Amino acid sequence: MSFQRPVIWVHEEALGSSNPALLERPNSPALFVFDTRWIQEARISRKRLGFLYESALDLPITLRKGDVVKEVIAFAERHNADGILSSLPVDPRLERIAASIEEHCPLELLEPEPFVSMPRPPRLGRFSRYWREAEPVVWGGF
Amino acid sequence: MPSQPSSTSLSWPEQSGDLPRDLPDRRALDRLLGEQFPEAGGSLSPLRGGRAAAETKLARLDPRRYTKSRNHLKGAVTGLSPYIRHGVLSLAEVRDAVFQRIRSRDEGIKLINELGWRDFWQRMWRDLGDGIHDSQEELKTGHDPASYARELPEDIRTGRTGLACMDEFQSKLTTHGWLHNHARMWMAAYVVHWRKVHWKAGADWFLEHLLDGDPSSNHLSWQWVASSFSHKPYFFNKGNLERFSDGQFCRSCSSSERCPFEGSYEQLENQLFANQGSIRDVPTRRSRNHQQRSGRQQSLKGSGQAAMARPKR
Repeated sequence: MSFQRPVIWVHEEALGSSNPALLERPNSPALFVFDTRWIQEARISRKRLGFLYESALDLPITLRKGDVVKEVIAFAERHNADGILSSLPVDPRLERIAASIEEHCPLELLEPEPFVSMPRPPRLGRFSRYWREAEPVVWGGF
Repeated sequence: MPSQPSSTSLSWPEQSGDLPRDLPDRRALDRLLGEQFPEAGGSLSPLRGGRAAAETKLARLDPRRYTKSRNHLKGAVTGLSPYIRHGVLSLAEVRDAVFQRIRSRDEGIKLINELGWRDFWQRMWRDLGDGIHDSQEELKTGHDPASYARELPEDIRTGRTGLACMDEFQSKLTTHGWLHNHARMWMAAYVVHWRKVHWKAGADWFLEHLLDGDPSSNHLSWQWVASSFSHKPYFFNKGNLERFSDGQFCRSCSSSERCPFEGSYEQLENQLFANQGSIRDVPTRRSRNHQQRSGRQQSLKGSGQAAMARPKR
């Protein structure tokens, strides 16, 4: 990782201490943003927001709400950061946000610890097909 | 709230617009969320977020009891899905916790299998991207896809169907934000097959409320029930629901004399589906209008093996 003064963007898939960006730079300023557009469009209930809020409070991160891209970039400027670190998301919405952030500021996405590491990507389409390849590898750790 | 949300202090100064971290209790959090997000309906779930709550559930993990009882509403399911979904716990961490608690592979095989499902859904999501919002295959119900209602009926949304089971599932969904997997399947089957509502309307409603609201797992599971991600629709009958719910709903149900789930599987199949012959033997053909984001062509054809662990009837 080449950043000298990064900030960390924590998103909805990585609100835990195993977040690879928090592990990599535990002392860097970090931010979680409640995505108001997503909350409105998907009619996200207060229960879900409360769960996210309580989970975020366990981490040393600033909480904000609004447009995620704008908020993350403003947070990076606020801390005079030379880059942004985050964990690699799966959700395409978060991927799009990451791509928009990267248009304004260098961004590095770190892979979380995988459930199973296989020498080549498993075949999907059906669970049974995937599991035939993955299961022996998973149980290899037992 | 009896106990207060934990709060880790920050080593950098706060700024205007930062949301507060020093909330005295859950009531304050509930009020704050009402002020900051007035459009978000309802109130807090009794289920708490955060690491401490996750570790409490992790400490109760019982893979042996899970194996025997997981399909029962009162079974030893883990309740870890919201914490895994949001990364409070990693799947690898839960896997290791299972390994630590078992003496043989047989004792943990079902629970590890379920963790495998979570990993599978994530890989499918990475592969399909926004394609999870589209039907993956043709329906095998014999009904025209356009004949399914696009809006969730109000009596389902508000828990006024008159069916004790479904109204209780609605209540649990909207107050707790969590449902047992079997209840999710029963409710999805009721919405799609008995009420002829498009799976997407039900799937989106679930995501409003589920603390583990994972679009991939949720949407593809609804599609599995509907039969656009499996080779036949999932449905159930009263006997199945009674067995795995210990009869708790049927005893007090005001609709028990006209239960829509009463009947044999053959009778219900005739009643619910237009072309029963096709339900049993239809080759699977997945739509390929999704983006191939991974850059490699995943083989998406198949015989339509069940896309999630189907509880026993």
